[in-house]
Amino acid sequence: MDAFTLSLWVVRLLFVLLLYLFLALVGRSLWRDLRGAAATVGRPLGRLVVVGSTEGGPATGTSFVLDAVNSIGRDVNNSVVVEDTFASAEHALLTFRGRSWYLEDRGSTNGTFLNGERIEGLVPLGYGDEIQVGRVRLRLDRAPGE
Amino acid sequence: MRAVPGIHPRWRRRELSLLLAAAGGLFLGWVSLASTQAGRLTAGDPTLLIVYLALLFGVHGAFVLAGRRTDQVLLPTVGVLGGLSLLLMARLPQGLASQSFGSLELGLAPLQLLWLGLAVVLLGGLGIAVRNDYWLRYYKYSWAAAGIGLLLLVFFLGEEVNGQRLSLRLGPISGQPSELLKVILVVFLAGYLADNRALIAGSSTRLGPLRLPPLPYLLPMLAMWGLALSIVVVQKDLGAALLFFSVFLAVLYIATSRASLVVLGVLLFLVGAAALYQLFPHVRDRVDIWLDPFAQAQDRGFQIVRALYAFGRGGVLGTGLGAGLPQVGGSLAIPAIHTDFVFAALAEELGMAGALAILALYLVLAQRGLRIAVLAADDFRSLLAAGLTTVIVIQAAIIMAGNLKLVPLTGITLPFISYGGSSLLANAIIVGFLIALSDQGVEPLEAPRPGRRERLAAGARSVSDRIERVVS
Repeated sequence: MDAFTLSLWVVRLLFVLLLYLFLALVGRSLWRDLRGAAATVGRPLGRLVVVGSTEGGPATGTSFVLDAVNSIGRDVNNSVVVEDTFASAEHALLTFRGRSWYLEDRGSTNGTFLNGERIEGLVPLGYGDEIQVGRVRLRLDRAPGE
Repeated sequence: MRAVPGIHPRWRRRELSLLLAAAGGLFLGWVSLASTQAGRLTAGDPTLLIVYLALLFGVHGAFVLAGRRTDQVLLPTVGVLGGLSLLLMARLPQGLASQSFGSLELGLAPLQLLWLGLAVVLLGGLGIAVRNDYWLRYYKYSWAAAGIGLLLLVFFLGEEVNGQRLSLRLGPISGQPSELLKVILVVFLAGYLADNRALIAGSSTRLGPLRLPPLPYLLPMLAMWGLALSIVVVQKDLGAALLFFSVFLAVLYIATSRASLVVLGVLLFLVGAAALYQLFPHVRDRVDIWLDPFAQAQDRGFQIVRALYAFGRGGVLGTGLGAGLPQVGGSLAIPAIHTDFVFAALAEELGMAGALAILALYLVLAQRGLRIAVLAADDFRSLLAAGLTTVIVIQAAIIMAGNLKLVPLTGITLPFISYGGSSLLANAIIVGFLIALSDQGVEPLEAPRPGRRERLAAGARSVSDRIERVVS
């Protein structure tokens, strides 16, 4: 077997090997997707940290773990209870839709504020944004352990 | 990163690394082919491959600039399939297809490159540009009407090639509308079933042991069955009919998760198949050849016989690119080697190892497509993604099994590998839609922190507000 035939076979085998390398890379990518999907299940989507509060409301530094749908208000049935006389019973709704967070006011008396602006309708928000309900200010943060 | 306002690039490292691996592999394949043909170690003239790879990377760059979070595996997978196609077409006799543009005469490989290029650009364009599905969902009956119109056009104006009435000629370009029809079919089915799935899944008609949907909702399904049969009768296109009907059943099952409908569909299929076998000689021919191709090995069964020999010659590792035997004594061993029998040709030169890799690539397409369907936001998108995936996968399965004599051979193309513009463009539309459907939006942006200047301005405003209130 001369050198050319030998090297040709090496090239041919390398070609097939590279096809399989490609498939292995794809496989690794699929595996990561599956692992990523498994990791997101059960992990909280984010949290609300109290950054400013009055005497009655939740203490500054308290954090609420968030689900996909979070109701904010004074009523004890809300997932985030804000004990403040300026907050309505059913004050605002914070939802995670697809890939981003949205805030809407539920017809509260004193309004809901996002970064100091009173919101109207459904507004998108990101991590680090500040929500104000009554006199209590809450910051949207990533879930711990990310 | 923010050089141009409005453009937020998002790196796609997975796609890039997969594309680099694909490019390396395809280049090695080109070296292997050129060396075999030249008799010494050489890369030959890799212009065609380089143009193709440049287009792939160009689409990757466009995806990066678009900044959407879309699937990163589909483009490289399609890229590898298309690259294999280009290698095979460069290897086959160039006279198999030719088209002249003015004084420029293009052979098989440059023509395939032209179609591949258009397909890749179309795929990228759809993946970026399609942002909503309203125009598909809302006009589903119009799409269905357009599809039937297309079919009628072929029935009356189509050209008959090899006893099959498939292609429509428009000036110098001829196309096969049934390729486009399969996309339209899935769009209509997804729209129809997304609207009516509750009614179809809730049963009210009984037929013996089968519980069926209410009669009015059975009608479109019977119409589908009739459509498939009429394609067989008028177009003599068994492959398209089989494809349409199995895609229809798959989407129906995904929408309703009712096995009884599938049983009914298979029964209808068997009845139809038996009737067609009795009535039409071309159907009987196909089945007889499939049952025993060696009985007429020199005559009607010779394509299958030679494909089987090709598989055998390939063995485990193959003869190597360019070292197979598609030509015997100056004539083609398998006449349709660049369309129906590409799988046999590739299996001969790449062996079982290569054939399994090709199978795995289609499985990757299936996994990605069904994953997109599972993650889709609503019924319509979910059904659309699942249906489009089924089209590609079932089509590949039917023709590969036909090559291997597992099922009767039907003349359809192997997606992304067979020569032919209509097939490449239709499949590019499918993958383009899949990429668009996988869009998970742009990255949720970190909220910009108010800068010092904004804070000062806000403070000044509130102070002036208060002063005004006090004054008034």
